[in-house]
Amino acid sequence: MLIDAIAMCFLQRKAWGIALLAVRENDKLCLQTRFAKGHPMTYCMIRSAVLGALAISIAFTPRLASGQQRASGALPDWSGVWQMVGPTVFDTSTVEPPNGRAGDPGVRERPPYNDEWEARYRKNVDSIQKGVFPDPVNLCGTPHGFPRVLNLPDVYEFVVRPEQVWIIGENGPNILRIYTDGRKHPAPEDLWPTYTGDSVGHWENDTLVVDTISAKGAIDGDVIVDRTGLILSEAMHVVTRMKKVDDSTIEAQIVIEDSKALKSPWRVTKRYRRLPADTRVYDYSCAENNRNPVTPSGRTLTLGPDGKPIDRVVD
Amino acid sequence: MIFKRVVFAGLFLVAAGTLCGSSLLGHHAATMFDTTKVIEITAKVKELQWTNPHIWIQIEVQNADGVRQEWSIEGGGPNSLSRQGWRPTTFKPGETVTLRINPMRDGTNAGLFVGVKFSDGKTLGRWDAQP
Repeated sequence: MLIDAIAMCFLQRKAWGIALLAVRENDKLCLQTRFAKGHPMTYCMIRSAVLGALAISIAFTPRLASGQQRASGALPDWSGVWQMVGPTVFDTSTVEPPNGRAGDPGVRERPPYNDEWEARYRKNVDSIQKGVFPDPVNLCGTPHGFPRVLNLPDVYEFVVRPEQVWIIGENGPNILRIYTDGRKHPAPEDLWPTYTGDSVGHWENDTLVVDTISAKGAIDGDVIVDRTGLILSEAMHVVTRMKKVDDSTIEAQIVIEDSKALKSPWRVTKRYRRLPADTRVYDYSCAENNRNPVTPSGRTLTLGPDGKPIDRVVD
Repeated sequence: MIFKRVVFAGLFLVAAGTLCGSSLLGHHAATMFDTTKVIEITAKVKELQWTNPHIWIQIEVQNADGVRQEWSIEGGGPNSLSRQGWRPTTFKPGETVTLRINPMRDGTNAGLFVGVKFSDGKTLGRWDAQP
């Protein structure tokens, strides 16, 4: 008997050991049991029958459970260039005033903050009113962070691969990597807060379910959610469900839990519309000609062509 | 050629929100600009800086005293503007244009682009944002 495949598992029950060996014998696939005591027993099927049964099993599997990578042919088509719908206010459903835009003095949203974080947000709104609330991305070089990466100006690409999904922002540097190969989040001792955090995902039919932790939040004041002054803590745990709701629209339903900042989950929906097929994506280099540096007090300056501030007050 | 600043900020108060220009800015807040006001200026183009994170239109404006001054007009990013039909050649050095802008809050010589009318009558941006 030719045995050229070795196997797989070993079961221990009381004093009895059972070894299961997958073997190939000529054109047959066999399962061989070997007990600690007694003779091996072999059960064989012809290979075509085994492969046929396997194909039927795959074809009729309704969905993949979390922890399994999906084959490329079974993935949805999210190709093209996409643009977020609406202004870069994170939660347009709760913004005040209703037509307010991020960065306009006095504009705010209503996440379910606890008292401490409501006070911190209120302070940011007041700083915007005074013109001394810096946007960290003015520093030219740091990513926008999470979940702001879902709230970018300019355009997006959504690259769907079996093992990862990449959300690529033209305005950047902003790339959100979502591992869909079945891996879990690293152990707590192997995690540290980063701008975009750690994201793992799985597919439920054509919905990508993304679990994000370990985002930097408002640590060091260098990550905000949008220019209304929204902030979250590094304790945020975000579950995002993304799907194409029609051929020209991808929708992200975002549920944010934050044990430090929020009293209850904060649910936000963002939509992205497909741009014409010939749309190109370009370089974005914030440092190319940044004429709006930030002073130590948080004031954003306007530089003239000679590189000197035009503003009357420079700090 | 004489360039005349045709209108002044105080004459053109408009409602906040309807003319807000902050949506143009992807890189920083527009708090240095008074987005509740639109002023119209006729000027000579000196240079278009077609750069990230924002484009800048450098113009020469003659003030009420007849003194020619350089102004800096900030616009959106070149990537988004290109998808709205802009090109690096959209503003040609030496040509005369009429611009509508949100002025600086402190009254200095800069502003946020709102709209433009070229000498051939074509417009770009929100030219319907009346001063």
